[in-house]
Amino acid sequence: MNLEKDLARALRRERPAPGFAGRVMQRIETQPEPRVRPHWWRTIAASLTLTAVLGGWAAHEVYEQRRLEGERARDQVVQALRIANEKVRYAQDEVREIGSTHNE
Amino acid sequence: MRRIVLITALLILAALPASAQRLNLDFPGLAERAEEVVDITLDADMLRLAAKFLSDNDDKAIRDTVRGLQGIYVRSYQFGKDGEYDRRLVDRVRSQLGASWKPIVTVRSKSKENVNILADMRGERIVGLVIISAEPKEFTVVNIVGPIDLEQLSKLEGQFGIPNVTTEKERRP
Repeated sequence: MNLEKDLARALRRERPAPGFAGRVMQRIETQPEPRVRPHWWRTIAASLTLTAVLGGWAAHEVYEQRRLEGERARDQVVQALRIANEKVRYAQDEVREIGSTHNE
Repeated sequence: MRRIVLITALLILAALPASAQRLNLDFPGLAERAEEVVDITLDADMLRLAAKFLSDNDDKAIRDTVRGLQGIYVRSYQFGKDGEYDRRLVDRVRSQLGASWKPIVTVRSKSKENVNILADMRGERIVGLVIISAEPKEFTVVNIVGPIDLEQLSKLEGQFGIPNVTTEKERRP
């Protein structure tokens, strides 16, 4: 077996069948033109994406604002109750001291 | 028509004792003279919001205390030297209190702080509390609007990041 000869036989130039070029041209002419998507579709898609991104960002901002408000309110509650607790305990201690002095 | 007006009036009258009183804690010019000011205004909405951010475990006692409250208002002023505020402010706050307010504790001291604790009593329930503390260099008013348990309030100490230490006075038999 001669590899070179086999390759040469397999790759030898052949003439196309008669009418090949005509058939190719006919098929090209009969094929429908590729569909072009209209521009408005892209505009709507871009608008929807932008709306979603902006909506998400706004929702996040509102949530973050609410979270900060909540944490500030919590800190204020703790501070207010700490002050109230301090004063009540002071008063209680004074009352106890007076009570114990009277008992002695 | 007269019946509707009468029923509405009765409902308003019935609702009045249930609603606790919010005091006017506006002290013009005091904040400017003070070195430190604490100004806390928490209405029912803010208390509900704050409750959502209090943890179920660590802050449970605080949550229980603020549940049902309609407001917490604190004004505290610390001054650099004695006599920076008019001691009659105490009377101004007290003068706003209606007949349902009863003094619970009054501590008078020449050297330390004077504390007045007054409660808005509806039957045996406390539906409002005012704590007025007047020291030579500090004036503090706390107004709690809504049902509050004084005992619970006094036991909150351990909830503020401070260990609940029994004082020497308490240990004394």
